[in-house]
Amino acid sequence: MQRRKFLSLGATAVAVASVLPVSLSATDFRATAPKAWEAPSSKEAIEALFGSSEMIDGQIEIKAPKLAENGGAVPIGIKSKLDLAVVALFQDANPRSAVVVMELAEGTVADLMTKIKMRKTANVTVVAKGRDGKLYSAVQKVEVSIGGCGG
Amino acid sequence: MKIKAKEKKGLVEVKILLDSPMVGKEEAETRKVEVDFLTHVTAKINGKVIWEASTGPFLSKNPYFMFNVEGKKGDELVIETINDKGVVDSDKDQVK
Repeated sequence: MQRRKFLSLGATAVAVASVLPVSLSATDFRATAPKAWEAPSSKEAIEALFGSSEMIDGQIEIKAPKLAENGGAVPIGIKSKLDLAVVALFQDANPRSAVVVMELAEGTVADLMTKIKMRKTANVTVVAKGRDGKLYSAVQKVEVSIGGCGG
Repeated sequence: MKIKAKEKKGLVEVKILLDSPMVGKEEAETRKVEVDFLTHVTAKINGKVIWEASTGPFLSKNPYFMFNVEGKKGDELVIETINDKGVVDSDKDQVK
């Protein structure tokens, strides 16, 4: 390729990158790790998303009911004293495992809650990536009496 | 969507209730409805992205999120969502 042409291509690429909207400044995990969203088991989804299965236990707390009456909205709280950058939630109760991947900017405290669907009793797994680059995880079993996946 | 943001000792507790049926492909088949779920949610305080989530259909219907971020009373909080069809929705509120 001619040098001049190559340089102009580079300039175009830079221009395109700089006009991306601010909201896309961080990662869209649906686009960067599509495989993780199709994986049926937590183990596969976690490997597809984080590329490693080496985790540190006991630093993250999952607040979930031991027995959930309504599987359509099971509250899952996630708490940690660590400075976390990414927090991902997985479960083994539905056809696919990944539920949500949250990204916390600096200044955001790891005290989160959301509600998920679980159509049967299963384990809920939280995997988080700290700003120190290490992976942390926690698992809790949630019993579900009425499933919540629309049938 | 509904947004509530309240400051307590320099920390803002944000609670959001989004509007989406969160129907994935399996649920769409059984219930004979269209696939329809949010794929991304972004939260900004005074224009700076402070929290975001890539989401899937196994969040509950009308997803709920709570998170805590440094901030103060009067800050402007904006929540933006996008669904699987690319439809964007946004709403804002002031931190109380």
